[in-house]
Amino acid sequence: MSSTTHGLGGLKYDPKKRHRPPELNVFVALVAIVALFEVLGRMFVGDSFLFNTRDKVDTLFNEQRLKIIILQVSIIGIIALGVTQVIISGGIDLSSGSIVGGVAMITTAFAQSALNEYGMENVKPILGAEWLDLPIIVPLAIGLSVGLLAGIINGLLIAKFKIPPFIVTLGMMLFMRGVATFVTKGRPISFLQEDYVAIGTGMNPVFIFIGIAVIMHFLLKYTKYGKHTYAIGSNEQAARMSGINVDRLKVLIYAIAGMLSAVAAIVMSSKALTGQAGMGLMYELDAIAMAVIGGTSLAGGRGSILGTCLGALIFGVIISGFTFMRLDAFYQEMAKGIIIVAAVILDQWRAQKQAAKA
Amino acid sequence: MKKSILAASLTAAVLAQVPAAQALTIGYATHHFDDKFSTILRNGSQAYAESLGHEMIQVDAQLDVGRQLDQVRNFIANGVDALIIQAVDSTAAGPMSKMAAEAGVPTVFVNRKPTPLESMADGQAYVASNEVESGTYQTYQMCLQLRAEGKSGGARGYLLVGDLASEAAVQRTIDAEQVVQLDMCNFMEIIGKETAMWQRNEAQDLMTNWLSTGEDFDFVIANNDEMALGAIQAMKAAGISMDDVVVGGVDATDDALAAMRGGDLDVTVFQNAKAQGEGAIDAVLKLVNGESVPREYYVPFELITPEILKTHPELSK
Repeated sequence: MSSTTHGLGGLKYDPKKRHRPPELNVFVALVAIVALFEVLGRMFVGDSFLFNTRDKVDTLFNEQRLKIIILQVSIIGIIALGVTQVIISGGIDLSSGSIVGGVAMITTAFAQSALNEYGMENVKPILGAEWLDLPIIVPLAIGLSVGLLAGIINGLLIAKFKIPPFIVTLGMMLFMRGVATFVTKGRPISFLQEDYVAIGTGMNPVFIFIGIAVIMHFLLKYTKYGKHTYAIGSNEQAARMSGINVDRLKVLIYAIAGMLSAVAAIVMSSKALTGQAGMGLMYELDAIAMAVIGGTSLAGGRGSILGTCLGALIFGVIISGFTFMRLDAFYQEMAKGIIIVAAVILDQWRAQKQAAKA
Repeated sequence: MKKSILAASLTAAVLAQVPAAQALTIGYATHHFDDKFSTILRNGSQAYAESLGHEMIQVDAQLDVGRQLDQVRNFIANGVDALIIQAVDSTAAGPMSKMAAEAGVPTVFVNRKPTPLESMADGQAYVASNEVESGTYQTYQMCLQLRAEGKSGGARGYLLVGDLASEAAVQRTIDAEQVVQLDMCNFMEIIGKETAMWQRNEAQDLMTNWLSTGEDFDFVIANNDEMALGAIQAMKAAGISMDDVVVGGVDATDDALAAMRGGDLDVTVFQNAKAQGEGAIDAVLKLVNGESVPREYYVPFELITPEILKTHPELSK
């Protein structure tokens, strides 16, 4: 505030104005929650949350628990990666959960096998006997295309017709849930091919999640696509004036989000060995919550993939922690609700403090 | 007007072929199209109604109490001859029942019991299976099997609960907990009880969370088959032999029966959805004809084990 900085503004380096990356706060919160469960666990359950206390296997950490913490959030995590960039661009995507349902049903209909994992014959193929045991690329290509198409439609309606993203994606949410139910009139699909099932077995969902996270991180941080996404989220008018093709960018952003929902649908149906019309119900809200906890601002222009990954991990730790503490699921939901609101309050408080400093 | 003349002549044409009775239009209000069990139920209902020469119109409340109320109101306004309602919420059946009674439309509630039963108007009926049977048959059979395996000295296990907002989840859980208090079954100890919302995927993750505690266990009771299958998939992924764990579900879905034939699932209970659907049609037709119908009609649950499955008239094929 002194007169010496007058005219130089932010150009002059001032260590007091250097701010910690927002992800650091999320990381600290994650560590604090883990530590809390560790302490509570030792006090009330007589067991360690993180460390291995059984002598059956010789490992320092409870590896099984660490694995499930990530595994159980990797599917919604994949959706959250797409939703994060949508929110950064100043939009919102409510259709992701329903796209999961629709794509899961369509994809699994094309991924059926003549025999199930017990070697029994598939007597009621969804699409008829000639559509069984197709090359694995067919269901994958169809599934991804459906997700991509849904995303492109979202993007076109938002960019060209200037309809608010909330309304467009709300419409898509209802439409795709209808598609999910329509495919088999609500009947679940099983008898999935071995190749298809292999996609979601073991820790594969985690690897897919991390792989996509790395790509998305690179895209948002180091490419023109990413920089422009932040730009339209901060100030769409200014971005347009400076020559960014806002419409094309928006279509691309929603297309990527739609396709990532399709990836989540494929991983999920493959992991559960079934396609069900109710799949992905309310996932859109969990995905948005992960992004918000990770520091993505619903006002647009702010957020990161790293933050969303940490947000997903916080979700995972809470779910496993509550099971570890033998507490029922409704406490989990309450805790999630409190954490989401707390994350936003902290974030705003921090932003205000920073604004005051500058 | 034209339409109704057309409809009347069409009806006459149909009547010529089906001499039994007048063709009726039956409104069927379901709680949720996506639910698999209800799909079999309403499709069974529709097929049976059509085979008798009646028309059935289905609407979906998408789990919304208010929407279902409006749909029933709509049915009545459009003059359906009879109503079958699978209530979204068993405690919200009262207003719909009253509305139908005031309009004089014969009404049957199916699968979901109006609670309290007094909220159902006189002259209406409730067709379902008695949930007390399902969880009891399931857990008792698991108890017998554990005893047969020589584990009567003590057995530990988990209980996967459905959506706590549904009556079936609550009742099946009470059933299971009562069975493990019986003198001959009190060697069974439930060491973990959580909801997986009826979903296979959630049960998979919950079971993996339980496995990460490293506790030894002998059985897994699930309020439905989907959750039992999720638990089985998680245990198999962790390398646990299904011969060492007794797993029980409810519903006898196709996937569950496949898992039973494959030796993974030990116990399930068959809720005859088709029989419930047909029972509802029978009951509502009787009401239309002015015959008396018992207020509660129960289609029995059937216990299914690998042995029973081999010779079951409907399920073995």
